[in-house]
Amino acid sequence: MIGGYMGKVLQVDLSTGAIESYSLPERMLELYVGNKGLGARLLYDLLPPMTDPLSEKNVFIVTTAPLTGAGAPSSNRFNITTKSPLTGAIVNSNCGGNFGVFLKRAGYDSLIITGKASKPVYLKINEEGVSIEDASELWGLDTEKIQEKLTAGTGKLVIGPAGENLVKYAAVFSQERAAGRGGVGAVMGSKNLKAVIAGGKKRVPVAHKDKFKDACRKWRQLSREHPATGEELPRFGTSIFVNKCNATHTLPTRNFLHGSYDEADAVSGETLAEKHLIKNIGCYGCPIACGRQVQLHGKNIKGPEYETVGLFGPNLMNADLKAIIELNYQADLLGMDTISLGNTLGFVMEAREKGLIKTDLAFGKIDRLSRTLDDIAYRRGLGDDMAEGVRFLSQKYGGEEFALHVKGMELASYEPRGAVGQGLGYAIGSRGGCHIAAGYPIYLEANGPITVDPLATTGKPGLVVLNQTTMEAVSTIGCCIFSVYMFLPKALLELNARSPLISKIVRSTFLYGGNIIGKALSWPAWTLPVPAPFFMLPQVQTHAHCTGERYTLGKMMELGKRVVSMDRIFNLREGLTGADDTLPKRLTDELQRAEEPRSKVTLSKMLPKYYNFRGWTPAGVPREKTLRTLQIEEEPMLPQTAMGAASTV
Amino acid sequence: MVEVKLFASLRTVAGEKGFLTDAASVGELLREAAERYGEDFAKRLQIATVLVNGKNIAHLRWKRTRLKDGDVVSLFPPLAGG
Ligand code: SF4
Repeated sequence: MIGGYMGKVLQVDLSTGAIESYSLPERMLELYVGNKGLGARLLYDLLPPMTDPLSEKNVFIVTTAPLTGAGAPSSNRFNITTKSPLTGAIVNSNCGGNFGVFLKRAGYDSLIITGKASKPVYLKINEEGVSIEDASELWGLDTEKIQEKLTAGTGKLVIGPAGENLVKYAAVFSQERAAGRGGVGAVMGSKNLKAVIAGGKKRVPVAHKDKFKDACRKWRQLSREHPATGEELPRFGTSIFVNKCNATHTLPTRNFLHGSYDEADAVSGETLAEKHLIKNIGCYGCPIACGRQVQLHGKNIKGPEYETVGLFGPNLMNADLKAIIELNYQADLLGMDTISLGNTLGFVMEAREKGLIKTDLAFGKIDRLSRTLDDIAYRRGLGDDMAEGVRFLSQKYGGEEFALHVKGMELASYEPRGAVGQGLGYAIGSRGGCHIAAGYPIYLEANGPITVDPLATTGKPGLVVLNQTTMEAVSTIGCCIFSVYMFLPKALLELNARSPLISKIVRSTFLYGGNIIGKALSWPAWTLPVPAPFFMLPQVQTHAHCTGERYTLGKMMELGKRVVSMDRIFNLREGLTGADDTLPKRLTDELQRAEEPRSKVTLSKMLPKYYNFRGWTPAGVPREKTLRTLQIEEEPMLPQTAMGAASTV
Repeated sequence: MVEVKLFASLRTVAGEKGFLTDAASVGELLREAAERYGEDFAKRLQIATVLVNGKNIAHLRWKRTRLKDGDVVSLFPPLAGG
């Protein structure tokens, strides 16, 4: 077995109580590696097509990657993959809590849960064995109390009341970190599974120890020396984007009606740091430590992230940062995704103004929000409908043109009419309106240090393909997406600032080269046989030293492409089509600013090119040749013999 | 007057949220800001993003971009977040 892996997968059937473990085929690991890539492949192989996401047949998969727990910086992520009850598409929710590290310490790379327990249970995993325990006493507890009750010194995965009550955007928590999106918490709830705990003392094997250590040290140093990851992000947290998005018309305001908010600074990362921050905190082993610790009623709690601030703040016309801190904490305790929640509240507020829904929720009125959060989590009154998300609400009450979702998933906190590539990303993201699945092109359009024309459609398909491919690969090998910010190294920033000519060349490389890069990225791995530049992508070399496998830039890009197309063929099998790659009318038909005729997302100018670069047909279906090049086999890779050779735990 | 807004570490180093100026161009404004807040600030300014009314000067006329009464100039260091 190559380095980075513990060599075993644990599978638990909650209906029968059967617990077994087996090894995955080496080829499967070689092609899909870990985290979201491996999760997608496992889900495709294990889930019967067209399964109801909240039925006992749905499969809940926790994967780790070789770097998880191996000691690399910003790389202790794990991933939850399942069929989303919110969208009916694949959902892969990445989390920075410590569960993945502890799962590996117990001796397992992945955990697969099938079936449904007849009463509330939790799962206990350690080196000595695995058991299904009674959780009747724990049912109903919030995400903090349940973690306090469970055995200390273990990694935990828990749901709150929202997950128990099958809120379609219920999250799973590990420490204070959430696998937030797509309703993975509702899938746990549907299985009567309140928690999983794991612990042990096993160590992750590393192939080339000295080289690996050296790479980790250099990576940490790069991270610390980079102005964005070494200073701004630790100091101001993710909400540092509030003011920048506000200035570039990309801050969702009043249910995405506008892209900027007069009072943005009152809820910004700068204000959070100045008025509320006690210290910055990080996921396990991360030198960046972008998390916020703040104080509320004398208690130290986790502060809100950018996405929550944007969607609970400007999107609801709310400039009260303390209220956002309180609501964020409440949503975490109840176990809900704050992105979907902020959108749902915004939609209901606008629907009320338009006379579609009777409610006293209104923009700028925050005193009702806390009760509404409880109503949603416990499915009381209108809260019961709100627990289904924006798509359901718009279908029931009307207002589809301002229902801000893609494929049923509510949009993250970026108004794409100020950065149209981000609009393309949202439209094609496999899990729906997610900024990460979108490839985060907005960083090269509006909120990053080097930006191309944010409203031009030229070059954007290539830009999205480049970003998305890189991010999918980095995420699959176990690293935090924020580690990709070093992709624009300090030296390049300095060079870019030196003269208008150099800046033009740098920007043109992204904008006009975007299409060339996009096209080049449709070629197989052997066409790029060079190593990934360490000073831009230290993750790749570090992964190679951990596993002992040679990893070229081409191979890494191929991994990213494989993961995108793997997600795609899963979604197509579940009945989604190219017609689902779209945006609500507000973003495609209405101008954000009357004086700016380009301030809307013209998908028709970008989508065909995007499909082409991905090697998909004009209908958005991966061509056979593409699947062959990417070695994506439609036949299951997980042979029955793997499970047949399973040993009972 | 032109309003200059400072963000993130530029705000911390300057010790204030911004200032008003009658600078006629971005270049003039940046020189004024560097003098006003000292060496550390000036060094950071070298890789700062400059937006005039939300538009990156890279898409305008760079440091020669003319400023007029009522313009808002925003200065950001390289950021990461999300
Ligand atoms: S950068 Fe932030 S989110 Fe990413 S691993 Fe570090 S602390 Fe966690």
